Amino acid sequence: MNARKIKAAVADISADTDPTRKAAKLASLCCALFRERGVELVVVGGSAIELLTEGAYTSGDLDLCRLTPAALPLRERQQIMGQLGAQGGPRSWQVAGAFVDLLGPLESLAHTPLRRLQGAFGIIQVAQPEELLVERVLVSIYPQSHPPARDCAKKLAAVALGGAMELDWKEVRRLASRPEYGILMACKALVREVANELKTKSPLDPNG
Amino acid sequence: MGEIMSWEDWLKGRRWRRELGNRVAPEVIQRSRSSSDRRLRKLFKGRRGLPFTPTEKL
Repeated sequence: MNARKIKAAVADISADTDPTRKAAKLASLCCALFRERGVELVVVGGSAIELLTEGAYTSGDLDLCRLTPAALPLRERQQIMGQLGAQGGPRSWQVAGAFVDLLGPLESLAHTPLRRLQGAFGIIQVAQPEELLVERVLVSIYPQSHPPARDCAKKLAAVALGGAMELDWKEVRRLASRPEYGILMACKALVREVANELKTKSPLDPNG
Repeated sequence: MGEIMSWEDWLKGRRWRRELGNRVAPEVIQRSRSSSDRRLRKLFKGRRGLPFTPTEKL
C-alpha cells in the first residue's frame, strides 16, 4: 500500500464517528500493513465481539494478536505504525482517533476457522466466536460473577441463535468441556436462557 | 464459516445483529471502567470511546 493510499485511509478512519465501523476500518488497515511484512494479525477480545455482534460493548481501543509465530522487531513495528501517523508504541499506539493494542501471540484452543471479513483496506481476521463465547461465560462466573461478561456472552449466543452469525455448537460444547474451561453446565444454562428469550431451542440441550 | 464476508454484507447485517443482542441484554453493555481508563477518557473527552450509533441509524 503506497503512502498516498495510507494517508487517504487514515483520513477516512479519523473522520469516522461510528466506533464499530471505525474499529473495523482500522483493523483492516493494520492487518493489511502487517501482512505486507509477513505478519498475520487477528482481532480478539471485546473488539472481536463487537465486530461479530454489534453489541455496543467495546471501548475506544482495538485489540489485536499475532497469528504468525515470529514477532516483528520493535523498530519495524514502529515503522509500520509510523506510516499511519501513530503515536506511542511499541505495543500500544494512538492512531486515527483510537488506540491499537498489539497483545502478542493468539491464544486459542478452537478448531474452527478464524472468521474473515473483507474490510475496507484488506481482509480482517477475527477470533473464533465459539471460543469467544466460552471465554465470556468463564469470565462471567470466575473468579466471581461479572455481569458485563455475561451480557457479552448472551449477545454472542443471541446473534448465533438468531441466524446472524454462523457458530459451530459442537465446538462450543467441546471447548466448554475442556479442562482449560470446565464450564459446560454454565454454558448450557446461559445458551438455554437466551434460547428461551428468543423463543427457540438450545442447540446445547439434548433435544435442542 | 470459512468464507470471507464482504464489507457490504457486514454493514448490512449490523442492525440485525444489534437487534438480536438487544432482545437478551441491555443495548449498551460497555464496561464502566478498565485498566485503560486514563488514556481512553483523555482521548474521548471523559468517555471510554465514541458514542455508539443508535440501532435505528444502523
